[in-house]
Amino acid sequence: MSRAIIPLLAGALLVTLQAGAEDLVSGLSQDQIQITSNYAGTDMVVFGAIESAEAGGGPRDVVVVMRGPDTDMSVRRKVRVAGIWINRDQITLHGMPDYYYVASTRPLLKMATAETLARYQIGLDNLMPKSVSTRTPSKAEPFRQAVIRSRARARLYAQAPTGVEFLSYSLFRTRIPIPATVPRGEYTAEVYLFRDGTVISAQTTPLFVDQTGLERRLYNFAHEWPFAYGLVTVMMAALLGWLSSFLFRRQ
Amino acid sequence: MEIYLPIAEMSVRWLIVLAMGAGVGFLSGMFGVGGGFLLTPLLIFYGIPAEVAVATTASHLTASSMSGAIAQWRRRAVDLKMAGVMLAGGAAGAFAGVYLFSLLRRIGQIDIAVSVGYVVLLGSIGGLMLNESLRAMRAAKAGTPPPPRQIERNWVDALPLKLRFRRSRLYISVLPPIALGFIVGILSAILGVGGGFIIVPAMIYFLRMPANVVMGTSLVQIVFVTATTTILQAVGNITVDIVLAFVLIVGGVVGAQYGVRMAARMPGEQLRLMLAILVLAVGARLLYGLVATPADVYSITTGLP
Repeated sequence: MSRAIIPLLAGALLVTLQAGAEDLVSGLSQDQIQITSNYAGTDMVVFGAIESAEAGGGPRDVVVVMRGPDTDMSVRRKVRVAGIWINRDQITLHGMPDYYYVASTRPLLKMATAETLARYQIGLDNLMPKSVSTRTPSKAEPFRQAVIRSRARARLYAQAPTGVEFLSYSLFRTRIPIPATVPRGEYTAEVYLFRDGTVISAQTTPLFVDQTGLERRLYNFAHEWPFAYGLVTVMMAALLGWLSSFLFRRQ
Repeated sequence: MEIYLPIAEMSVRWLIVLAMGAGVGFLSGMFGVGGGFLLTPLLIFYGIPAEVAVATTASHLTASSMSGAIAQWRRRAVDLKMAGVMLAGGAAGAFAGVYLFSLLRRIGQIDIAVSVGYVVLLGSIGGLMLNESLRAMRAAKAGTPPPPRQIERNWVDALPLKLRFRRSRLYISVLPPIALGFIVGILSAILGVGGGFIIVPAMIYFLRMPANVVMGTSLVQIVFVTATTTILQAVGNITVDIVLAFVLIVGGVVGAQYGVRMAARMPGEQLRLMLAILVLAVGARLLYGLVATPADVYSITTGLP
């Protein structure tokens, strides 16, 4: 969480410094996503407007970053030992988001410098863990890239370089796909307004992804009363086994 | 149609899962085996995390062995005392297995351990079965009955703590059945197999139990060992997915009934040869997964210490 707050504080600071010449308002189409038994993914619309926008001036750009809950990821590298591939080196990346999506009006490097993007952690190249379980950070780099590769394959990390569109001079909108495999937790939608390559305004909105209904109850049951949960599973299995021998004997 | 698995935390197509349960149930009914050795790898190939596949298959085996155990019980073909002694070892084995399982999971070697375990197990059992059934078929073709196995007194008789098992008409030490139960308990926890294909030959050749009680006794023991494993996995690793288990079991128990009917129309030798080939094929597929260069040499686990 604190990671998400830092750029926001910085953003807020900038806004006050620039005397609120251009203010940003944004919203989400939903403030929570409920994972039900037939959840197959959904689209989240992030929209907004730049208030008191005056025509002219330098190019303006909007970046929308959707970030999932931070988690620790243990990344292991396989090596071949006696013909068999086994896990050998392991590095844990602390505080990587479970989900990350960045959409912008133009390709990121065309609208700001790499340093600016790195400061705000915008873009997959700038997505860094809070800390790593190794003293030499350079060693962790291939492991970080492996995470980005693997999450991108699962469509949990993605970049849409022209994903944000301006509907009018001040109105913008983007559509963010939330796949079926998204983890549960608190997400944030961060919206950045760039002018002449610097962030002049930023806003963040929380979003909750949670299981609901029976799924939620089963998940809680399994975690809070594991013994009873195991017993119920066994009883269900025994009952179905008994039922089948009973039913099919009748035929 | 997708169904969300609350413990695996992923969506699967429930029709595919149902079909997998039914297919494995059919084969297990046809060959008279539990089918854990087929179901666990199948679930892993489909993308279910190995730890959830192993633990959930245990509960599937409880159900599939249950109907067989009931049928054998009605025929009075169960040596309950023997099953109880084996279960004592089995429960201890399941405990040890679940502990080992969480240890392997922590150090990140569970997938590889499961695969290697399967390759060794399926390779040796499949090889033995293939050899046996080919020999029997050759003997049948030559017109001579297969040579009966010479049963002689062995080291089993020398062990202490003897107990009388009335239904099996045996007076033997409790140590071999306990040891057998222990091994099967470990296998059930780590590989998600019932272990019938180990218990049955061991009961016949090691313990020398009469053939009429072997099937029933092993089924009763499998019901209880897999039930124990399910509960221990649920408590120790939280890897039992009840939704996945339900869909698999419903498919499995129905498929098994058709498998049993199919088996009645096929000669036993042919069935055994087919089972041997199937066992070896699954083993070969898993071996390929171990030796083939992976698409990505990195793998990621989240949320673990």
